[in-house]
Amino acid sequence: MDKKLGIYLCSGCHIGECLDMQALEKAALGECKAAVCKKHEFLCGREGLELINNDIKSEGVNTVVIGACSPRVNFDLFRFGDQVILERVNLREHVAWCHKPNDEDTQMLAEDYLRMGAIKAVKINFPEPYIAEGLTSKILIIGGGVSGLTSAFSAASLGTEVVLVEKQAELGGWVKNMHRQYPKAPPHAALEPTGLPELIDQVKKNSKITVYTSSTIEKISGEPGRFEITIKKADGTAVEKAASIIVATGWKPYDAKKLEHLSFGKHPNIITNVMMEEMVSSGRGIKTADGQRPKRIAFIQCAGSRDPNHLPYCSSVCCNVSLKQAMYCREQDPDSLVFVFYKDLRTPGHHEDFYRHAQNDAGTFLTKCEITNIDVKGNTLVVNAADTLLGKEISVEADLVVLATGMVPTALDEKVLHLAYRKGDELPQLKYGFTDSHFICFPYETERTGIYASGCARAPLDTDAARSDGTGAAMKAIQCADLISRGMATLPRFGDNTYPEMYMQRCTDCKRCTEECPFGAYDETAKGTPLPNPARCRRCGICMGSCPERIISFKNYNIEILSSMIKNFSVPDEFEEKPRILAFMCENDAYPAMDMAGLRHIEYNPHVRIIPVRCIGSVNNVLIADALSGGVDGILLIGCKHGDDYQCHFIRGSELIGKREGNLQETLQRLALEPERIKAVQLSINEYDRLPKLFSEYVEEITEMGFNPFKGM
Amino acid sequence: MNIKKGEFVVVGGGISGIAAAVEIAEFGNKVTLIEKEASLGGRVSKMSLYFPKLCPPYCGLEIYFKRIRSNPNIQIMTLSEVANISGTPGNFTVTVRQSPRYVNAKCTGCNDCVSACPVERPSDFDYSLSKTKAVYLPHELSFPYRYVIDDKTCPGAECGKCILACKYDAIDLGMKAESVELKADAVIVATGWKPYDAQKLTNLNYGKMSNLITNVMMERLAAPNGPTKGEILRPSDNKKVERVAFVQCAGSRDENHLPYCSAVCCTASLKQVSYVKEFNKEAQVSVFYIDLRVMGRNEDFLTKIKQHDGLKFVKGKVARITEDPDTKDVWVEAEDILSGAKHRERFDMAVLATGIEPSLSGEKTCLGEQDKYGFFGSGKDGIFHIGCCHTPSDVSACVKLANGAVLKAMQCVGGRA
Amino acid sequence: MKQSTLNPDIVFIRDVIRSGGDSVKKCYQCATCSVVCNNSPDENPFPRKEMIWTQWGLKDRLVNDPDIWLCHQCDDCSVYCPREAKPMEVLAALRKMTIAHHAVPGFFAKMFKSAGYLPILFGIPVVFLLFVLFVSGHLNIPDGEVLYSKMFSHMAINISFTAMFFLACGMAFIGGKNFWNGMKADFGEPKGETSFIGACIKVSKQIMLHSKFKECDANKSRFTSHLLVFWGFIGLLVVTALAVVSIVLYHYYPLPQTNLIKILGNVSAIAFFVGLTIMMLNRLSSKTSQSRGTFFDWVFLLDLYGVVLTGIAVEYLRVFNGGAIAYIMYFIHLVFVFFLLVYFPYSKFIHFAYRFLAMVYAVMTGREVVRT
Repeated sequence: MDKKLGIYLCSGCHIGECLDMQALEKAALGECKAAVCKKHEFLCGREGLELINNDIKSEGVNTVVIGACSPRVNFDLFRFGDQVILERVNLREHVAWCHKPNDEDTQMLAEDYLRMGAIKAVKINFPEPYIAEGLTSKILIIGGGVSGLTSAFSAASLGTEVVLVEKQAELGGWVKNMHRQYPKAPPHAALEPTGLPELIDQVKKNSKITVYTSSTIEKISGEPGRFEITIKKADGTAVEKAASIIVATGWKPYDAKKLEHLSFGKHPNIITNVMMEEMVSSGRGIKTADGQRPKRIAFIQCAGSRDPNHLPYCSSVCCNVSLKQAMYCREQDPDSLVFVFYKDLRTPGHHEDFYRHAQNDAGTFLTKCEITNIDVKGNTLVVNAADTLLGKEISVEADLVVLATGMVPTALDEKVLHLAYRKGDELPQLKYGFTDSHFICFPYETERTGIYASGCARAPLDTDAARSDGTGAAMKAIQCADLISRGMATLPRFGDNTYPEMYMQRCTDCKRCTEECPFGAYDETAKGTPLPNPARCRRCGICMGSCPERIISFKNYNIEILSSMIKNFSVPDEFEEKPRILAFMCENDAYPAMDMAGLRHIEYNPHVRIIPVRCIGSVNNVLIADALSGGVDGILLIGCKHGDDYQCHFIRGSELIGKREGNLQETLQRLALEPERIKAVQLSINEYDRLPKLFSEYVEEITEMGFNPFKGM
Repeated sequence: MNIKKGEFVVVGGGISGIAAAVEIAEFGNKVTLIEKEASLGGRVSKMSLYFPKLCPPYCGLEIYFKRIRSNPNIQIMTLSEVANISGTPGNFTVTVRQSPRYVNAKCTGCNDCVSACPVERPSDFDYSLSKTKAVYLPHELSFPYRYVIDDKTCPGAECGKCILACKYDAIDLGMKAESVELKADAVIVATGWKPYDAQKLTNLNYGKMSNLITNVMMERLAAPNGPTKGEILRPSDNKKVERVAFVQCAGSRDENHLPYCSAVCCTASLKQVSYVKEFNKEAQVSVFYIDLRVMGRNEDFLTKIKQHDGLKFVKGKVARITEDPDTKDVWVEAEDILSGAKHRERFDMAVLATGIEPSLSGEKTCLGEQDKYGFFGSGKDGIFHIGCCHTPSDVSACVKLANGAVLKAMQCVGGRA
Repeated sequence: MKQSTLNPDIVFIRDVIRSGGDSVKKCYQCATCSVVCNNSPDENPFPRKEMIWTQWGLKDRLVNDPDIWLCHQCDDCSVYCPREAKPMEVLAALRKMTIAHHAVPGFFAKMFKSAGYLPILFGIPVVFLLFVLFVSGHLNIPDGEVLYSKMFSHMAINISFTAMFFLACGMAFIGGKNFWNGMKADFGEPKGETSFIGACIKVSKQIMLHSKFKECDANKSRFTSHLLVFWGFIGLLVVTALAVVSIVLYHYYPLPQTNLIKILGNVSAIAFFVGLTIMMLNRLSSKTSQSRGTFFDWVFLLDLYGVVLTGIAVEYLRVFNGGAIAYIMYFIHLVFVFFLLVYFPYSKFIHFAYRFLAMVYAVMTGREVVRT
C-alpha cells in the first residue's frame, strides 16, 4: 500500500503554550516526510476532526499521525475506519503537562516523539487475520459433574454443539452421592434436593450434546478452533473436534489416611464427611460400624484443610457441609448430641442465615478450638481440644467422629488433558493443583489459550458456585470459538487480528520462542523446528522478543518498527552534556501510569524517551544493543510485577527480562559497557508517583557513570 | 459462528457490569452500559489494591477499558439510572433517566475549569477525606475521561467562572435531565453495594471521633492517588500511625444491622494490615474478629499476613469504642475470648470493617425483587442480577457471575428464554 | 475447677429453653454482651461464657456460678446482641434453674415450674389451715363483730406459721449453703481481703440502695418498681413482726388507724402495691416472651399481689364489719401468706438470698465491678 502521511498537531490543552508548534510542523513536513501537516487549537472539536476527515477523503491521506492527547482518551473521536492507519503521539500527557514549557529539552522531546510516531505509522502494515482451515464451533467439556453438566447445557442452549467426556460410568460427579445440599436461597433454612437428576436429564435429552461416559481423554492436539481430540472409551476410541475446551475435572476428597493425627484408620467409627454423605444418601441411615445409631457424633472441621502439612488452603464448603450433616444426625435421632469443632466457622454471605438456623438446636454443640488429638478407648472416641470457647482444654466423648476432609483438585496428580503440546501435556498449575491465571479479574483463564477451567478444578466451590461457574465458563468457551473463527485474539488483546509470522529460512531451531511462549503456542516438527499454532497465541510478542534471529514479527508490531523508532529520536552528542535514556514500557500498566503522572502535572526528567510495547517480554535484546551502540546512555525496561502474585498480563513477560539478562550482559560486555546501563523495573499501574524519582535517579546514576562511549560514532 | 446477535442493557458500571458489558459486546452484540455516577469503575476504582495478590484494581480496569475503547458496540451512559423496564425477554424497553453533567462532549480534559472554579465540595471518591472543586474529574482513570459539575455545590450561572475559563465551549450549565428509551433482549443488573452506614453502630461512636474510620476510607488512605498520597496518617493530626485496630463485623452478622456476612471484610482487613505494615513496619496492629472468614486459596494470604511481627488477632467482637479527649487516641474494648479476659487497648486509629449493603437496599426499584436484606435473587425472565447487588462477593466471584449472566442474556435473543 | 470431659445435659438445655432462655442457642460467641455489661468483671467476664456453657448444657458449672446473680437485668446485652440471643433472659432462666437445683426438698421446686402443680401448691395451705382450725376447735364462722382472733386464735396462728416459716428458713439455709459451697468448690475459695462479714455489710448497703440496679442504664422503671416493692415488703415485714410482738407482749391488737405502726403498714402496703403494679404492667407490655415472664415469675408476682389485696380487704372488711365474707377473705389471705412465707425457698422469693450470697462472693473474690 502506498502511504500518504498526514500529521495533525493540536495546540489545545496548553500544548501550544508549552511547545513551539511552528518547529513541530517543520519537523513533520521535513524529517517526518508528511505529505500534509495541519495545526489546530481544538483538534478533537468538530472543526478539527473535519480537517482530518477532509484530507482523508479529498487528499488521499491514509496514514494519520495525531500529535495531541494520549491515545487512551478521545479514542472514539479519532476513529477513521479500518482503511486508515492511525498513530497517536502523546504530546499532552507525556510532554506538555509534565515538562517545563518553552524549554529546549521539552521541545526536543516533543519532536522526538513526533518522529517516532511518524516512522511507526509509516512502517505499520494492515493486519491479515489468521483464519485456519477446518474450524469447528464445537466445545469439549471434560468432566460430567455439576459444573461440566451446567456448562454443557448452557452452551447447547445457545445452539453450540457440545462433547462431554466423563470418566465415571454415570454423570453427576460427587454430587450424585449427595443426599441433600445446604440451602442456596432465602430463607436458607431447610436442606434442599441437589437438582442433579433434572440436570442430567436435560443434558441427556439435548441433541446438541454428545456424552461419552466411562471415557477419558487420550490426546488433544491442534489449536483453538480446531483441537483434535482422541477419546479413550471403554470399548475403543473416538475422535472429535472442538474449538475450545472446558476443564471441569473437579475434585476428590483429601486422602484421610494421611490424617493420622486425627486417628483416621484407628477405629471404624472415625469416618470422613464424604463417607457420611454416602451413608445417608444410600438410605442406610447413620450407623456406627456395629450397626448402632450413634448417640454422640463429633464433627472435626479442617481435617487436612488450613493445615500447612496437608492442604494449606480452606476448602470453603466444609463448614456448611458439617452443619448440614449435623442436621441429618439430629433429624435421625432427636436425642442424639452433635458436636462441631471448628477453627473458624466459615459461612460467608447469605449462608450466615443457614448457620443461624442450624445452630439454633438444643442438641447441636459448637466450639472454636484447635484439635489436640482423638483418643480411641475401646468403642469410645475421645476428642481432645485446646483453646476452646469453654476453656483451655476440653474433652468430649463420641461414638462417631466425622472428619471434614477438604477438596483436592483432581488434576493435582492425575493427567486429564494429555495435550500434545511441546510445553507440557497438562495445564500449568498456579498452586495446589488449581489451574488459573489472573484469577481475580479473569477467573476462567488458564495459561493455555482456548482452554478454560471451571468448577472445583479452579477453586474449592459449592454446588451453587460450581453451577454458576459452569455457565460462565461456557460463555468463555463459546466466545473463544467465535473470536478464533474471526481470526481474533482472546484475552487480553481481544480483537487483535494480527499474529506472529516467522521467516523460517533464517530459523536456527534454537527453540527460544518455544520455551519462552507462556501459552505454549509453539510445538516443533520432527526435525526440531518450531511449529507455530497461531490460534494458541495471545499476541504478546514474547516470542518476538526471544528470537535471536529476529525472524518473528507482527504486521503492525515488529523489530523493524521498534528499531526505526529508536533511530528516530535524538541522541545528543557528548558535548551537549545531555544524557539520553530509552525506556521500554508496558503499554497496559506503565504507560497509563505515565498518563496519570501527566494528568497530575508531575514534572520529571526530559531526557527519557519512551517506547510502549505490548509486553516488556517482547523487547528483543537486539533492540537494546542497537540503542546502546547508537549512543543511548541507559535502557530502562519497565514491566509489570512478577513472582507469585504476578501482574503481567502475559504471565511471565516481565519475569523473562531477568532470565534473558545473561545474554544481555554478554552484549554489554561485547560493547565494553557497564552492566548498569540496562535496568529492569517493576511498576504497577497505580504507581505513577514513583516515576519522577525513578527517572531522575537513573539519569543521575548514568550521568555519574559517564556518557556512552558510542555516542556520536 | 451462528449465534444470534442482540441488544442488551447492563445496569451498573462497577466491575460486574463492566465485565458483563464488555464480554457480551465481544460477541458482536450491541450493549448500553448504564452508570449512576459520572465515571465507570464503581467501588473497585476506589480500592487501593485487591486481595490476595495486592495488585491495583486500575490494572484490570484498564484492560476492560481498553476493550471498551476498541469496541464501538459498547455505549456508555453515565449519570444515568433506570426509571422503568417493560416488556418480555427478547423485547424489553428500558427507560433511562440521565442527569445533566453540565459538561458536554467538547470537554478535552484540560483542567482549566477546575483552576477557575471558586467552590469546593467533599470528594465522594475519597469518602470525604479530601475536597474537589464543584467541577472535577472523578479520578485518574475516569471513564469517560470527562469533567463533571456537582450541581449541589455549583452556584450556577451567577458564578459562571468555568464558562469563561473553558476555551472549548464545553460547559453547559443549562443542561437538563433527559429520558432515553432503549430496546433490549435482556437486562443485566449489577447495581452493586454501598458501605453500611457506620453511624448506626451506636456503641462504636463512629462519627464522634476523627481517628475512627471505615475500611473504605482506609483504602483511600493507602492509595497513591488518595488524600494522603498513600501515606497512612491518622485524620486528627496527620500522625504516622503506629498502633492500629481493625474491627471486624462492624454491622455485618448482626441482627440489628446486616444479619448476613459480608464475605469480603476479613480478607480485606488482612490486606489493610499489609498496607499498615508496608507503610510502617514497626506498627502494632490488632485485628478483632468473630470468625476469620478467609475462604479458599485466600487462606495462603492469611498465612502470609500472620508472619508479620507486631500483629495480634483477638477473638472477640469490639463492643465499645471511645476517644481519649486529650490525645484523640481511640480506646477499643472487646473480650479476648480465648484468654477469657476483657481487653481494652489504646490505638492511634481504628478501622471499622463495615459491611456490604446492596446499593438499592430500602429503595423501591423496578430492577427486580429484593430479599429481606435488599439483595436481588439471581434473576429470571430476561433480567439477571449479578455482583454485590445479588450477594456479597469479591471481585473474582463478581466477574464470574457476570460471565454467566452474559450467556443467560444471550439466550433471550428473539425471546427464547 | 472445671471438669474437662464435657457432658452436655440436654434435659437441662431444654429446661432453660422452656424457662425463658429460648434464644440461648443463637449465640455465636462474639462477647459483645461481656463488654457492654457494666457489672461484668474484667477477668472471666459474663455472660458470654454462661451462654456457651448453657448451649453445651453444662449444668454443673452453671448452678454454682455466682456471675449469673451479678446481672441486674438492664438488658444492654440483649439490646446490643448481634444474634438476638438475649443473654439477660438466659441468665434469668438460669437463676430459676439454680433455685430449683439447690432447693431442698427438690419436689417443691419442681412444682414451681408449671401451672399444673398449682392445685397442690394451694391445696397444702388450705389443708394446713383447716387442720389448724380443726385442732384449735374453730372450724366455723364466728358471729358478731368481726374479730379475726375469734377464728384463728393469735396463739394458733403465731405458733403454726412461725413453726412453718422457721422450717422453710431451715430449708432455705441448706439450699443457700449448698450454693455457697458449690461456688467455692467450682470457682475457688475467696482469697480477697474482704471478710465474709465485711462483704455482707457492703452488699446489704448496696441492696438497700439498689445501687447495682442503678448502674444499668437501660432500665430505669425496673429500678423504681423493684425499689418500691423491696422497701414496701420490708415495711410490711417489720409491721408484721411488730404486730406479733405487740400481740404476744401486750395483747394489744388490732391497732387503731392512727398508730404509727399502722401508718407504716399502710404506707408500705401502698408502696408495695404501686411497685408491683408497675412490674406487672411492664411485663404485660413487654414484647419478648421472657420479659413477659414465665409461670415461675408470675406465680410469685401474683402471690405478692394476692397478699396485698387480700390484706387490704381483710383490714377493711373488719373495719366495716363484713361478716362471713371477712372470715373467708381472712382465710384466703392466710393461704397467700403461707404461700409466700413457707414456699419462699422454692419460689422466686429466694432470689434475694442467692443474689446476696453471690454478691458477697463477688466482693470477697474481687469480682465486684466498681464503676468509675
